[in-house]
Amino acid sequence: MSDNGRVRVSIVGVVIVALFCALFARLWFLQVGTDAEVRVEATTRTTRVVQSEMPRGRILDRNGVELVTNRTSWAITVDRGLPEEERMVVLGQLGELLGVTSEELAENFDDVQQSPLKPAVVAFDVAEPIRIAILEHIDCYPGTHVERLTVRQYPQLLANEAPLASHLLGYVGEISGDQLADRVDEGYVGGDTIGRSGVERAYEDDLRGEPRRETVEVDPTGSPVGSPVDVEPGHVGHDVYLTIDANWQRAAEESLAQGIEAARTIQNENVVEGYEELKAPAGSVVVLDARDGSVAAMASYPTYDPRVFVDGISQVEWDLLGLPELHNPLLNRASQGEYDPGSTFKLVSSVAMTRYGIRGAGDWFDDNGFVEIRGTDFQNAGRAALGSVDLTQAISKSSDTYFYTGGFEFWKIWKAGDTERGLGMQTVAREFGFGATTGIELDETDGRIPDPDQKRELSYAINEGDAAEENATWFPADQIYMAIGQSVLVSPLQLANAYAAFANGGTLFEPRLGLQVADVDGQVLSTLESKVISRLEFDPYVRAQMLSGFNGAVQDDSGTAFAPFAGFPLDTIPVAGKTGTAQVAGKGDTSLFVGWFPANNPQYVVAAVVEQGGRGAQVAAPIVRRVIEAMNNIAGTAPVEVLDEAKD
Amino acid sequence: MATITLAPGAATRRRDDATSPLRHVDLVLLTLPFAISALGLLMIYSSSRTRLGDNGVSELYYVQRQGIAIVIGVIAMVVVMLVDYRRLRDLWALAYIAILPLLVGVLVVGASRKGAQAWFDIGPLQFQPSEIAKLSIIVAVAGYCHAHRGDLDAWRLATAVVMAALLIGLVLMQNDLGSAAVLLVCAGSVLVVAGIRPHHLAVLFLLGITAVGAVVVTGTLDDYQIDRLSGFIDQSPDGTASEQTQSEYNLEQSKNAIVAGGLDGEGLFNGTNTKLSYVPEQHTDFIFTVVGEEFGFIGGATVIGLFGLLAWRLWRIALLSSDFFGTLVVMGVLAMFAFQVFENIGMTMGIMPITGLPLPFMSYGGSAIIASFAAVGLALNVHMRRFT
Repeated sequence: MSDNGRVRVSIVGVVIVALFCALFARLWFLQVGTDAEVRVEATTRTTRVVQSEMPRGRILDRNGVELVTNRTSWAITVDRGLPEEERMVVLGQLGELLGVTSEELAENFDDVQQSPLKPAVVAFDVAEPIRIAILEHIDCYPGTHVERLTVRQYPQLLANEAPLASHLLGYVGEISGDQLADRVDEGYVGGDTIGRSGVERAYEDDLRGEPRRETVEVDPTGSPVGSPVDVEPGHVGHDVYLTIDANWQRAAEESLAQGIEAARTIQNENVVEGYEELKAPAGSVVVLDARDGSVAAMASYPTYDPRVFVDGISQVEWDLLGLPELHNPLLNRASQGEYDPGSTFKLVSSVAMTRYGIRGAGDWFDDNGFVEIRGTDFQNAGRAALGSVDLTQAISKSSDTYFYTGGFEFWKIWKAGDTERGLGMQTVAREFGFGATTGIELDETDGRIPDPDQKRELSYAINEGDAAEENATWFPADQIYMAIGQSVLVSPLQLANAYAAFANGGTLFEPRLGLQVADVDGQVLSTLESKVISRLEFDPYVRAQMLSGFNGAVQDDSGTAFAPFAGFPLDTIPVAGKTGTAQVAGKGDTSLFVGWFPANNPQYVVAAVVEQGGRGAQVAAPIVRRVIEAMNNIAGTAPVEVLDEAKD
Repeated sequence: MATITLAPGAATRRRDDATSPLRHVDLVLLTLPFAISALGLLMIYSSSRTRLGDNGVSELYYVQRQGIAIVIGVIAMVVVMLVDYRRLRDLWALAYIAILPLLVGVLVVGASRKGAQAWFDIGPLQFQPSEIAKLSIIVAVAGYCHAHRGDLDAWRLATAVVMAALLIGLVLMQNDLGSAAVLLVCAGSVLVVAGIRPHHLAVLFLLGITAVGAVVVTGTLDDYQIDRLSGFIDQSPDGTASEQTQSEYNLEQSKNAIVAGGLDGEGLFNGTNTKLSYVPEQHTDFIFTVVGEEFGFIGGATVIGLFGLLAWRLWRIALLSSDFFGTLVVMGVLAMFAFQVFENIGMTMGIMPITGLPLPFMSYGGSAIIASFAAVGLALNVHMRRFT
């Protein structure tokens, strides 16, 4: 090499030495030259608590079958602060990556159900290769993040892929502004998940874990500096065990759906001319343990899929759930539905008539199929004359005239000024828990027990002036119809609970879903005891007469529910119960049945109510039969068979 | 005592040959890439494991991919070593022409996407031609200059400049300002060593200033590029978070992490800023901040020292080379590494503007790793054949 070349190589070498010296100097200045305390002071001024939610606890049935668990969903989020133009570019690129249109992603971005506080979730359940692609080229996706979301999972699915027990389990969602204001002391922050309905809401405090809290120091720009100065590790939520039996719950939901679907194929007997099928849009089933008031199963139809709430329900989905054609699937009809109980209310009428001396349990009454009271004709279903009936037969054959006349006697006593006796039926109804919430952990209705005051209030609420007064009077018909369960409003849960109180000898329980709470290791933290609301006193003779009436309704060939239980092994599993067919203004009859088994040693009460489902024996009773069969593992039971016709 | 006489076989004969290339491998230079790469793997793991885990990806994802790149890089290095560089000397034009379709192709692929793309997707892998272009420009300019015995008159210089400018222009069109700067430095260094005349250098310098001025005035630069440059010039920490531009934020976080390291660092896997992913692109361009935070001044100085050692070995080879082409090529490689190290480490400490340049052998990125190993292979090649 020429000397010139050596000189040139050396020049380059000197330059490089200078550069490396500059690096050393700068490194020294930054790391050693700066006074450490000054550094900390310059950057650290305030602290901030960074809180992250822990996974919610599971919800399990009484046997430990998982009803709700968690799963991880990897989501792609996009910052809300991103300029719109840039956002459209990012969404376009994400769409290309995900194989969806950018419009779809933009729709998710603009979803009003999403938290405005957090980056908008544009895609859920993103596969690993896509997550890697985003990570590797994060420059191409400004404002984009991959986030791990813990979402609710429902391991128990029905045949139609909808999760089991969705109504009673409820769903979770982002905490609302109002809820946040109420619960800010409990450590909730905006964007947190909270139980919005059902068990998820009722047991929120148990299911919600203790969030992890890190106290970090932040510099003036808000960026955290250094290690967290304090860490509260938090813990995952507790598991909640329910009194529900997953198998029975499945039987209840499937039987209800089968019964309702079958009902839509049979003739509505109230339509005299032409052929019209029952509409049967909705219904519910409740299975209660008569011994302690725990809910063994609770079904409501139509159902909904709580998973739509998992990814933040969209406005479209929400609107769909509110469509009248869909019959409000979010409503848990078992506790929130209000129905005229029809003849099932004769439980109350019977107790009231005997207790208040209207008619003795052994007295005979001549049922001509109708009775004329003050010029009005009150008749049995189909005007069928049942002949001479005592209380037992009035129940088993469901004589209306027996109770019409009883109702009229009550009215006369009331009219004569003896309010206490005259409104005795209302008193007994309240003793059975009607007209008040049961105290279950769910949203529920208190129903309605009509009485003179209530009618007056209602009339003034609906009408105005003279019209209100005209309609405010407590007429004989009001008490007469009430005696057969018309104008009373009850929830299926109230109905089942009242029958449970009768069946178990008089203990009215507070129905409940919670069995126990356990931590993540399975250690039981608390066991939820059953609560007694009150004890009812029954005259032993009256109760025996009534019992044989409820037995006869199912087991006697003259009973109203004999036909739907034809072929059922009543000798080994005796069932007692009562049918009900309630008239509803402008709609088809409500089909009801409440039964319990074993009749002689009551364990479970099963109630079914089907809106516009025809007579009680036609649809509701076959559903109950099918549920009882499933609960007793009676093999080879066919789908619910509804009856084309039935006596009532 | 018995004397064992080995049968004169091919292998022993070569070993006995004092000029055999295998006897003259620079073991120090050979060791350095492995040492720096190993440290790089550790730093990549430390900086990316939390974020990968948070994204539901294996914590070793980057480490594994980088490991594969290192293996391919070592193979490339060995291949480059085994072929006598003097054959390459005669094929410099091929090295130049071969890279052109790749650089044009990546622009075509990039055009189909919104925004620029500087890589080809090959299955799950990405290939960045600009990394290979660094080697091409070194070999091509060195080959051209050597072919003219270092006698660079105005026309020959102009030819070399146009050759280099074409590559630099193509890389600039990918919006890859950093790589373009590396190409410029490589070509410039080779030309300086090759004997560019001082007055030519002055003219080129003036032309360069004018070109830069024209680019700034006509607004050819993207916003983010201006943002990076202005962020470098104004490093006062008084801006609020909302006023801070992305690169100001990056620089702030990067410096914070290094400052936090102090003399002896926070310890491996203990870097707070690192663990919490405060420094963006930390496993790639800002890998030095992990060293700075977790190993402190001692670690940072060691890394700079390792690169210094690398530079010294390269410089030594340039002087020892048996021919002028070898000197030129190795000086190009030296310039490439020195500039990237200075620019990369300098930007993490705020003494250079932020560009997307990797730290050789350490930053996550397959193409750069392979190109770096191949470049060392080239220098080793020159060293081991200095007596043949």
